[in-house]
Amino acid sequence: MGSEEELMFESLQHLVNGFGIAATVQNLLYCLIGCIVGTLIGVLPGIGPIAGIALLIPATFGLNPTSAIIMLAGIYYGAMYGGSTTSILLNVPGETASVITCIDGYQMAQKGRAGPALATCAIGSFIAGTIGIFGLVFIAPPLAEAALAFGPPEYFSLMVFGFIVLSNVTGTSLIKSLMMAVVGLIIGTIGIDPVTGDARFTFGSISLLSGIEFVAVAIGLFGIGEVLINVEKPSEMLEQRVLVPRLRELYPTLQDFKKSIGPILRGAGIGFGVGLVPGPAPVIATYSSYMIERKISKNPEEFGKGAIEGVAGPESANNSACQSAFIPLFVLGIPFAPPTAILLGALLIHGVNPGPMMIGQHPELFWGVIASMYIGNFILLILNLPFVPLFANILRIPKKVLLPLVILFCITGMYTVNNSVFDIWMMLLFGAMGFLMRKWAYEGAPLLLALVLGPKLEIAFRQSLMISHGDFGVFVNRPISMVFLLATAIFLIFPAVRLMFKKSKKGGI
Amino acid sequence: MGNRLDRDEAMGGIVIFLFGTVTALLSLKMPIGTFRTAGTGMFPLCLGILLMILAGTFILKLLLQEKKIPSKKESTVEISGSRKPMIYFLGAMVLATLLFNQLGYPLISFLLMLGLLRILGMKRWALNILLSFMTAVASYFLFVQWLQIPLPKGFIGL
Repeated sequence: MGSEEELMFESLQHLVNGFGIAATVQNLLYCLIGCIVGTLIGVLPGIGPIAGIALLIPATFGLNPTSAIIMLAGIYYGAMYGGSTTSILLNVPGETASVITCIDGYQMAQKGRAGPALATCAIGSFIAGTIGIFGLVFIAPPLAEAALAFGPPEYFSLMVFGFIVLSNVTGTSLIKSLMMAVVGLIIGTIGIDPVTGDARFTFGSISLLSGIEFVAVAIGLFGIGEVLINVEKPSEMLEQRVLVPRLRELYPTLQDFKKSIGPILRGAGIGFGVGLVPGPAPVIATYSSYMIERKISKNPEEFGKGAIEGVAGPESANNSACQSAFIPLFVLGIPFAPPTAILLGALLIHGVNPGPMMIGQHPELFWGVIASMYIGNFILLILNLPFVPLFANILRIPKKVLLPLVILFCITGMYTVNNSVFDIWMMLLFGAMGFLMRKWAYEGAPLLLALVLGPKLEIAFRQSLMISHGDFGVFVNRPISMVFLLATAIFLIFPAVRLMFKKSKKGGI
Repeated sequence: MGNRLDRDEAMGGIVIFLFGTVTALLSLKMPIGTFRTAGTGMFPLCLGILLMILAGTFILKLLLQEKKIPSKKESTVEISGSRKPMIYFLGAMVLATLLFNQLGYPLISFLLMLGLLRILGMKRWALNILLSFMTAVASYFLFVQWLQIPLPKGFIGL
């Protein structure tokens, strides 16, 4: 008990130091830039947080790792804030986590209550983000200590568990998501073999020796692919009417606040828990929160017709999940969602290898980024309330102007990663692939996550077999590894059992 | 395979199966080693075989599933977009990449914007040229002058 209290006290002390790091003029500026860019990315349909973060990685090359991650993290949670604006005003989610906000948010806007809906989103996100950060402060250090016991078999099983869970919860078909994960792992094997140093699948190309640039895959699949889908839509669908609330209409009433506070706190709790497990945490968190709020509501019939609880809960869950998603990234070095996978790539580019040792080896980065998230939430609260009309006006930019601009930024951003036209070719190739995947209903998230984690997974797999002299029992003989594999088996078997149960029920009727 | 999505899904499954096959075959050309000391080709070989199994199961599942008769409602759900602008759009990007080093960043950004705006239906040339020019100038000052990113100068030397 004593050591736990000591650890907690130490964490708080580190957090105070983190505020000192995050509050420097330079870091405050990068946090502000990240929040603004993130909000814009969230507001603008056509480019999501994954492509947005990937695009801005080259802009961080001249920065120290702490400032770079502060800015990129700002884009991630900023996009979650911005995404709600388009959901409420246009019924078009700026990013997938805001889909659920459309249901009641847009209905509120139709009734002339867009302002309170937007304000509730901002306030709820701020409260939830704050709770999420404190959870991060108290959970990350003890988890990092526990993770020190992990060896290659445990890491291998944990990553397999992550892939299976992510594949289970993304898209409509487990098998399709699994195929995408394996494709990502295969693409990840291109380049130099991490163990023997031999070249693999390079076909004599020097550019391929360092592997496929993950930024090219991210921008291609999630940026170019999305733009191509938008271009294919009929031109009349590219323009939409925007409802812009006036500043004085923004503030919620006391009644709104009373109705929202419960869903906000519950959403924060749900989001934090969901963010810790593999999968598109913000999306699952928003759906779960919405379902729970509807279930426990005294007036469930109001849901879908503009219930403020249907906006407050999911938006809070969304932001809380974003914060807790940093725990597996920082503490285990394993991202459980695509945006954090991109952040892992950014960390590696900056020479930081996240994992249980990161808190001790890079305390300024870990605590500085956590503190910056708190400051960032405050910046977003200030940005989101008075500047909502401004952000909403950005939606007036016609898509036929916006899409070429996105393409130009993608090409420029891609070139700047390695000053190489080869990377642009790769981006275009994955852009075309992303387009086809969307058409054929395949998910890009498992592919990207597998690409980033592929080398780690291979090393863990080969090291485990080296330790055990080729005995696969090493994965089940070690308790932690066995628990992960058991959980994986449950996730694999559960959908099949459910399907069989459904079929037998149908047959019985 | 009753509807279009099924056909598309099956097509995707076949492409993925072929990808797995090619991966497995290419891996066999590398040293495989043993499980104790895995060679360069071991991991991709396992992945290639796994992908073939997954894609094969998926295709089989599609073939075995009951044929759906598309209802009137189902057949009208899909947004019927035109492929032409998308192909031109992609073509413009390919062309810009081909000429990226030769023409240089300022010129290529102007021409790319001009082409893409036109493809997306910006019919008025004057407005199109003005927008493209403004974008090219703004991105030049942002990336080259301010952020000091070494982008290709091309024959114009900017």
